[in-house]
Amino acid sequence: MQEIKRKYVVPGDRIVDGNFRPLSNVTKSGNSIFATRIGIAEATRDGIKVIPLSGVYIPRVNDVVIGKIIDHSSLSWQVDIRSCFSAHLPAQDVFGRDFSPARDDMNKQLAIGDLVTARIMAFDRTRDPMLTIQDKDLGKIPRGEFLKISATRVPRLIGKRGSMIQTIEQATQTRILIGQNGIVVVAGRSAEGTQLAIRAIRMVEEEAHTSNLTQRIKTLLNVPEPESTETISEQASPEGQKLEGSSSSIPEAEEQVQEEELEKGDKE
Amino acid sequence: MSSSKRSTIIVEHLRKQQMREAISRSKRLDGRDLDEMRTLEIELGIIGKADGSSRVRLGNSEVVAGVKVETGTPFEGLENKGALILSAEVLPIASPYVEPGPPDEETIELARVVDRGVRESEMVDLDKLALIPGKVVYTIFVDCSIINYDGNLFDASSYAVVSALMSSKLPVFEVQDGEAVVNTGKKMDPPLTTIPVSITAVKIGDSVILDPTAEEEACMDARITITTNSEGKFAALQKGSTGSFTIDQIKKAAEIARIKGEEVRTKIKELTSNGH
Repeated sequence: MQEIKRKYVVPGDRIVDGNFRPLSNVTKSGNSIFATRIGIAEATRDGIKVIPLSGVYIPRVNDVVIGKIIDHSSLSWQVDIRSCFSAHLPAQDVFGRDFSPARDDMNKQLAIGDLVTARIMAFDRTRDPMLTIQDKDLGKIPRGEFLKISATRVPRLIGKRGSMIQTIEQATQTRILIGQNGIVVVAGRSAEGTQLAIRAIRMVEEEAHTSNLTQRIKTLLNVPEPESTETISEQASPEGQKLEGSSSSIPEAEEQVQEEELEKGDKE
Repeated sequence: MSSSKRSTIIVEHLRKQQMREAISRSKRLDGRDLDEMRTLEIELGIIGKADGSSRVRLGNSEVVAGVKVETGTPFEGLENKGALILSAEVLPIASPYVEPGPPDEETIELARVVDRGVRESEMVDLDKLALIPGKVVYTIFVDCSIINYDGNLFDASSYAVVSALMSSKLPVFEVQDGEAVVNTGKKMDPPLTTIPVSITAVKIGDSVILDPTAEEEACMDARITITTNSEGKFAALQKGSTGSFTIDQIKKAAEIARIKGEEVRTKIKELTSNGH
């Protein structure tokens, strides 16, 4: 089999010729595989896929998302999950089986404008995503500062086995809720900690595709580092690692970072 | 009638809380001071076939205005004056909350408020635009297209209309034998007398803020748009939304409209003289 290097692609780029299986965000035409989104093309044992670097959130069953209640009918709430699909949360999920539209006031439980953490219970191409809040840590979000990031940056914000988000939480004394759809709620004891956490999250969003990001975040948050500080300050300087060429292969130094990202993407 | 309105933008409760807290500390979520306008950018002459045009960016709000001059019959009761017709349209690409179709009431109000500012300040001296009194006069159409919506369309559209008019060149029409009107092919400056500038202030909680974003407009209790002319005199005023202002707040808004209006006027003058 032909060896495939990881590379940046834009929609329409030919990733590889040959007998490969198309996975996510690619399409097979004749004997070639083409990218359908901007991202990093990657060959795995199963086939070829593209890890997207931009785009809206596409719901997947079992994803935990943060949504905004935007309306309700007599039987369900309509929830904006920052996707091209509008989700709904059945009233029975909140009130239980014996829910009665005549007796129960839906506005008292969840009003328009409330934020909820919810899990996507069902979604396929024939119907819009259905949510549930019946699980630990799901439900209405009572407080915190919220911000929106691109859904494609979420795996990077979480980091390998949650390393990035734990770093930020510990350094800023905050609790951070992340929805797979890119909505983040930061609740902290102090306003300074919360603001610092928000700055760190924004930095992750802007520099998600660059290497040594964890180090730079640690520098921003003043996390004591056992390694020599010289390396950190060196890495903190901008090195113009931003995505420039559409299909340039990724330098070796970045490989590890991408791996983390990919691994996270796989896990989701 | 389009069902979706820009005022249907739903701001999260947490976001509203954040916004009110920030405003109570005299700061806004985008880092501006309460009476700070967003950056104003004006580009002129962007429509080749129009007699005058401009593109205005106020933060992320973006408006294109075009001036077209023709001859037509005067309005009844205004036989000796030229006609000025101003329209505004919010295009569906401007925001996910805008639907195609006839204008909704917010858009109608927008066109009327912008029109009132230009008309009541007597920016264009319409007396000089009659050709055959009672029969043929200059008719100036100014059309605004909102191509991106991020709040404060009143001011953005007003600046677009004013700068388009200021940069316009009218075709010179001549009356021959007392009845035939001919286009001479020459161009002239429009007869302008003043530069009206509108300033919109909204009330959120107990504070009055200037140049609201779409998010702030969705949280506002009341809105007031005040237009001043070059002498700093008030030419037009429109109060909107269901909430109320105290007398002190109105006085303060009027004072700010005069001071900020002068700043914006200087900026418009500077930007229109550079590009023309």
